[in-house]
Amino acid sequence: MRDVTVTELEQLAAGIAEAEATFQMDEEAFGCFYERTARPVWAYLARMTGDPRLADDLLQEAYYRFLRARPALDDEAHRRNYLFRIATNLVHDIRRRPQVDETAMPVRGPAETIDGQGGDMAAETVRRIDTARGLAQLKPRERELLWLAYAQGSSHHEIAETLGVKASSVKMLLFRARRRLAAVLRAAER
Amino acid sequence: MIECLRETDVFEAIAFGRWPAAADADLRAHVARCPVCLDLVAVAVPLQCDRQALVRAAQPPTAAVVWWRAAIRARAEATRTAMQPIAVWRRVVAVCIAGAAAALVPDVWQWGRGIDALASFGVQHAAFILVALVAGLVLAPLAVYFALADD
Repeated sequence: MRDVTVTELEQLAAGIAEAEATFQMDEEAFGCFYERTARPVWAYLARMTGDPRLADDLLQEAYYRFLRARPALDDEAHRRNYLFRIATNLVHDIRRRPQVDETAMPVRGPAETIDGQGGDMAAETVRRIDTARGLAQLKPRERELLWLAYAQGSSHHEIAETLGVKASSVKMLLFRARRRLAAVLRAAER
Repeated sequence: MIECLRETDVFEAIAFGRWPAAADADLRAHVARCPVCLDLVAVAVPLQCDRQALVRAAQPPTAAVVWWRAAIRARAEATRTAMQPIAVWRRVVAVCIAGAAAALVPDVWQWGRGIDALASFGVQHAAFILVALVAGLVLAPLAVYFALADD
């Protein structure tokens, strides 16, 4: 076997420098964007996969793919939607593997109430477990729709952009998913 | 009916923490008799609660760590991509050497028949062969170094 020559090493270095330049934003801009989006994206990944550790891994992967992608993104909202779209695709990839238990995770650490003021932690934990189980009974696409709409507060247009569905069909899909989850949660309350 | 005109008001009240205590009495009365808004409340309240708890529980790595890992990975992928032509070239060389070796097998076989004559030659000129081997081992790396050095 022959050795690598100096010319080849130079070509190698040029390729590496080119790869580093392919990130779509500089480190400072990325830092600001990450601070605003990391926790919501992690929450989305954690609830969609049911596994906080998997969510940790997928978070890193999502930002890596986001940085390497070079789509024409005008503003923060589009970048955020694009990031959620990457996260959604990662969850779909994981779902094709057979081992994910989507009912498993209520929360990492002790449960907290919606207003953060303490309160009935046990009741809150039960409620969150019911929510997780209720979501697990829905189709993956329904879970994603409901989370984006009512947890994330995304508009129909943003949901369509994130999930790659027609904006005109979001309303109907959301209505059906909402009705199903409401029925499941009411049944759990009884 | 799949939508209600007051859905947005109800969701805003939930998302901004006004529901139910701080919401308008009018809105609460509407929700009590509207099946669409009832479903919305049944779903949005627990999802908001769940999201807030998850966001608080999240322990993502710092942006610097994520950036650093991404840079390392990008570099590794770039290295792999850049090395691909070299790896291909190495495979080509290996195939050529294997082909040449295969082509030489008949000749070597013929040459082996004359090995007896060669053995007697080796015994007679052992000292000369040894000197040639040592010279080759010392001089060959030097020759390669001077051939590949830039200056």
